[in-house]
Amino acid sequence: MTKAIEIKEVIKTYPDFKLGPFNLDLEPGKVLAYIGPNGAGKSTTMHCLTGLVEVDQGSMKIFGKENKPDRTDWKFDLGYVGDVHVFYEKWTAEENLKLLKKFYPNWSDSLVNNLADRFRLPLKKKAKDLSSGNRVKLSLILALAHSPKLLLLDEPTSGLDPVARKEVLDTLFEILEDGNRAILYSTHVLSDIERLADELAFLVDGQLIVRNEKDELTESWRRISFQFKGPLAGISSAVSYTADDVDHQIISRNYKDTMHHLQETGAQNIHKTRLSIDEIAVEIMKEKM
Amino acid sequence: MLLNLTDLSDESLQSQIIRQVRAKILAGNLESGISLPSIRGLAKDNRVSVITVQRAYESLMREGLIHSRRRKGFFVSEIKDTDKKELAKQKLLEELERPVRAGAAEGLSKQDILSVIKKILSED
Repeated sequence: MTKAIEIKEVIKTYPDFKLGPFNLDLEPGKVLAYIGPNGAGKSTTMHCLTGLVEVDQGSMKIFGKENKPDRTDWKFDLGYVGDVHVFYEKWTAEENLKLLKKFYPNWSDSLVNNLADRFRLPLKKKAKDLSSGNRVKLSLILALAHSPKLLLLDEPTSGLDPVARKEVLDTLFEILEDGNRAILYSTHVLSDIERLADELAFLVDGQLIVRNEKDELTESWRRISFQFKGPLAGISSAVSYTADDVDHQIISRNYKDTMHHLQETGAQNIHKTRLSIDEIAVEIMKEKM
Repeated sequence: MLLNLTDLSDESLQSQIIRQVRAKILAGNLESGISLPSIRGLAKDNRVSVITVQRAYESLMREGLIHSRRRKGFFVSEIKDTDKKELAKQKLLEELERPVRAGAAEGLSKQDILSVIKKILSED
């Protein structure tokens, strides 16, 4: 099966920052949450994928086609919502849409109208008069109107109120239904993508540190509390540890392993609870920062 | 198919899906031979990721409650009523084991525990 994204040994160097070398791929039909602190290289990855900046080394393919800036075929498969929304500010939303339409043979006016209705976006307003929420929505419509097979979303819901955020996420759930589309979704607000994402990739300092199925992570991480008198040696799979007298609490990356260890040690009153994806993400990134 | 899924639970979304679909099958709301929603359809309708539903369906297949037919999707399997009862009983046993043992550890007698179960049943 052709991969939606195939990144091989890519390096991009700036005077004060280096992304990679890294490999990343994404299958059609899947949503990959791209997670990392500010400055980790999430947006740089997006910029490289869209061809806005050229990589120093390595290759990037979108549905099997190399993203060479001098070619356009791969661009038809791509929809991008960046961290900055660039419009012709004096033009209306509608005029901005009409301009972009010329570049895409696959463009659908009915899809545009459908989304604009749904987002309650005032198409007759000039771009400069749109609220920040409506600017995000206009960007999304611009990115979706040609039904791209790959969506690159760079923190698309930042600046949106909760209702608008839900409208955007609902739309994403629907476009995924046909099974051929893929989404790379960068964010540091994990609760947004907690339900949507199939897989998570963590980027810290330009390096990909963890890539996992979401359900695998949520099934193996736990907070575990227990009581134990006396000194405790290292606990298997524990990533953080606090204690108050005989009460101990740890976060485990592999609770079965930890529970086994604790039972053998003779710990008492062992209790475990699940962690949110946000909590897991913090622990994973804290370790590498 | 609409399921009632919550993020405010100590049970994962995946096992909430497994439990609720299983309950529909064992209670006879989903009869054998009936087709189930596609993985993507169920994911969309309930706002969960595709892999979450995929893993839930895989688990239900291992239990023998559903099966897949190439290119046709997923179907509820033929389950004898006696087997259904056995499955439901097994499930109940698994779910009750922890609270019952906890109750016993806190000093409840066999009689006390049985009276609690009788109370639950008489409330329906």
